[in-house]
This record gives sequence, C-alpha cells and structure tokens, in this order.
Amino acid sequence: MQMKKILEFKDVKFFYQTKDSEVEALKNISFSLDENSFTSLVGPSGCGKTTILSLTAGLLTPSSGEILLDGKPIEKHDSRIGYMFQRDHLFEWRSIWQNITLGLELKGLKKDEKKVALAEELLKKYDLYNFKNKKPRQLSGGMRQRVALIRTLVLEPSLLLLDEPFSALDFQTRLKVCDDVYNIIKSEQKTALLVTHDISEALSMSDHIVILSKRPATVKEEVKIDFSGETPLHKREDKSFGSYFEKIWRSLV
Amino acid sequence: MNKKQTYSKARAMFLKKRKRDAIIVWVGRTLLIVLLLGLWELLSSTGTIDPFFFSSPSKIATTIGALAADGNLWIHIWTSLYETIIGFILATTLGFILAVLLWWSERLRKVLEPYIIILNSLPKIALGPMIILWFGSGPIATVVMCILICVIITTISMLNAFISCDNDKILLMKSMHASKIQILFKLIMPNALPEFTSVLKINVGMSWVGTIMGEYLSSKAGLGYLINYGTQILKLDIVMASIFILCILATGMYLIVSPLERRYKK
Repeated sequence: MQMKKILEFKDVKFFYQTKDSEVEALKNISFSLDENSFTSLVGPSGCGKTTILSLTAGLLTPSSGEILLDGKPIEKHDSRIGYMFQRDHLFEWRSIWQNITLGLELKGLKKDEKKVALAEELLKKYDLYNFKNKKPRQLSGGMRQRVALIRTLVLEPSLLLLDEPFSALDFQTRLKVCDDVYNIIKSEQKTALLVTHDISEALSMSDHIVILSKRPATVKEEVKIDFSGETPLHKREDKSFGSYFEKIWRSLV
Repeated sequence: MNKKQTYSKARAMFLKKRKRDAIIVWVGRTLLIVLLLGLWELLSSTGTIDPFFFSSPSKIATTIGALAADGNLWIHIWTSLYETIIGFILATTLGFILAVLLWWSERLRKVLEPYIIILNSLPKIALGPMIILWFGSGPIATVVMCILICVIITTISMLNAFISCDNDKILLMKSMHASKIQILFKLIMPNALPEFTSVLKINVGMSWVGTIMGEYLSSKAGLGYLINYGTQILKLDIVMASIFILCILATGMYLIVSPLERRYKK
C-alpha cells in the first residue's frame, strides 16, 4: 500500500544573499516523508540542513521549487509545523505549565478546553505533571527537553522538525532523552524530520535517512532503515547497525 | 528547614567558621567607622587639623540638629528627594520607551546610532548653562539635568539587553505564529528583566549625580544648594552635614532598589 505523503520537497533551490555575493545553499532538493515516518537529514556541516528545516517551517521561502505539506504549499510561519531547537529554550520566568501552554496563549487558545485538556494529559502521560508549577531551572536537562517537546505537541502539528535537539546534552543524558523523545513521537503518532550530524543518532531513531552533499546541497542518497529493535537504544545493538553506519559514512565522505 | 537537624562534625565546623567570618566582617566594619570618626574628632579637637576647614563629627551632629530645629533642613531634603525621584522615574521610563522603539525598528536604530553615541560621550554638565537659560533655576532645571544624565545610558543598556535575546527563542516564538508585539511583551521584555533591575540600580546613583549637579548650577533649595551655600559662606560644618545626609538618602534609595536586582538576577 502506498503511504500517504506528509511532506514533499520538489526541486527546491535556495540562495542566500550576503553583502558580497549570492550563495547557492540548496541545489534542487527533492525528497518526501511518509506519514508517521521518522526521517533524518544527515550531511557535512554547513551543508544547509538547518536551511531545509527553516524552509519547511516557513521561516524562509525557497528561491524556486515547491514544498508541500499535506498536499498544500507551506505558508509563512506555518502553524502545522512544530519546531524543536538545539536547546530547549524554555522561558525561565515561566512555570512549566506556562511554558507548555505558550503556543496556546499566543494563538488565543488558552481558554480552549480541549487544548488545555491535551496539555494536561501529555504532562501526566510523560511524568511531568508534578512539576507543573516548577520553574525550568528546577528540572534536569532530560526533563527540560521533554517539556520542550510537549510544548510543540500541544499545538498538534502535522510534522515535527527536530534541529539537533540533543546536541546540548551530555552523552548519558543524550541516549536517555533520545529514547524518551522517540517514544513520545511514536506513541503520539507524529511524523518527524530530524537534523543531525551524528550518524548513530540518525540510525537509531529513523526509518529513513536522507544524505545531503556538501554545499550547494543535493540529495546524495536515500536509505531505508529496517531494524528489529524497538527503541533507539536497542537499535544500536542490532547486528546490521555497523553495516548501515559504514554505508552512510561512505556516502558522506 | 528543620532546626533540630543533627550535623556531621565537618558540617558543624563549616557552619561555625561561616558564622565567625560574618562576625569578623561586622566587627571590622564597625571598628573602621568608629576609628575614623574618633581620629577625626581627636585631631580636630586638639587642633592638629583646622576645625574651620575640616569640621568634626560632633560639630556636624550639632549643625544637623540646628538645621533640623529651624525647619529649613526638611525643605532642602524634600526638594532634593523629589527632584531625584521624579528625575529617576522620568529618565528610566523615557530611556525604556526609547529602547523599545529602537528595538522595534532596525532602520530607526541605524539612523540614530551615531547620535546616541555622541550624546552618550558628551559630558552632560556642559549643557548646564543652556538648561538654566531654557528652564530657569529651580526644580525643573534639576530634573532635566537628571534626565539628561540617565536617559541615554538607560536606552543603551536596555537596547543591548533586548537585542541580545537568543535568536532561536525568537524563531521559536515565530514558529508558534507570534506577532511582533507578542514577541516584545512575552519574550523580549521578560528576558531583559535582570538587566532592567541593574539599570534601576545604576540610575538611582546617576539621578543623585544629576540632582546635585543641577542644584550646584543654579537653585534655591536642595542639598546641592546647601553644600554650595555652605562653601560660599565658608561654613564647612554645613557642607559636611549636607554630605552626610546625602549619603544616608542615596544609600536608602539604593537599598530599596537593590533587592529587586538580587531577586531577578539570573
């Protein structure tokens, strides 16, 4: 059965304007994401991975080509997109609850009972309800990243963008948070697009990896991943992990 | 915390040392002021230093008593106090609003940037004679002086705080469809709160500078006037008494504002 496509990049080009010149960042990028899939973008640093996320979120507009979300073009600051950044960016002056409902507040939905109920449900489900009235600095790095994820999930996005969301964490926490975030995304049945420079992380989380060339970026190769493991941590133990790793590594260099 | 908690030996020693250090600091402070005042009094009463030019703690105390008794002191204190408070509030508000406008419009910021730098480098006291011509000699001129001294530095500090907000946080707000006004009120301003409290603290000191400078230039009342007057009639007791009162008032205002800073400092 053909899976429904959530996101489609069709021949997308993007030029940066700088003081001295015009820089070609993306040169015909085409790929697509199936519904409920977990896709990773990997590529050499500075190749334009984050540019692709910004384009998807409607924070930038492509110079040419088309980006479709659910079959419809991306709008400016598209509200069907949830964005997670390298750091959690929780607002220190707000309680956890106020952080989680930030999006609702901005959209004037704070009185919307269904949305508020969803926020409460997510907090309970992911063991944060007791910390509802705490300030972000009272939480551990892993918990903060979970709060940041719930903050985006409350707005019920069709697509989640993750921009190296674990890079600011130490290795131990990182593996744990990886598992957490993966499980939350899977159990909420979200489609996700992850940007990372860490091949193991991409392998352990995704079922589809898009490899980009160096700037101006093109799609070099797409790899379907199939592991027996359930969680990212288990997947790292899979026998074929090493051969996948090598395949992607070779494609990158 | 439970007061009956039992501590380990190391903990008990640590706490004891902390307490002892605190006592030493407190005793040191008291001793320093007592010694200085005592020495001053002694040298002045034995005539080693001329009490006419150097006054003495006891003479300062009597002068304050006398000034308080004839009622004039309260007028001077009140004048300086309200000039400073009004100057402080107006300058802080004005500087803050200006910073918001400059944050809002990058174009305006670029246009005004060189002029702000020039105004900031200019010693405001140079404008004194003009202020007197334009605003007369009185509280208004003093308040204007106060504002001139505080407003530019308030604008610069607040603008820096606004601009230094993490760009990803702004992108996060944008990705949640926030309008510019929402970004300002829900992110930029609360994010700059620690800097704002620092500005308040600095402005307390700066507005006292403005008030005293304004009163030196030309005034009919106020502690600055009293200091000037005392110098002219060569009554150093009055000068010293005014400075002493000034110390107390400025410290008092500082103490009102500084807990805010401690509370909001990251």
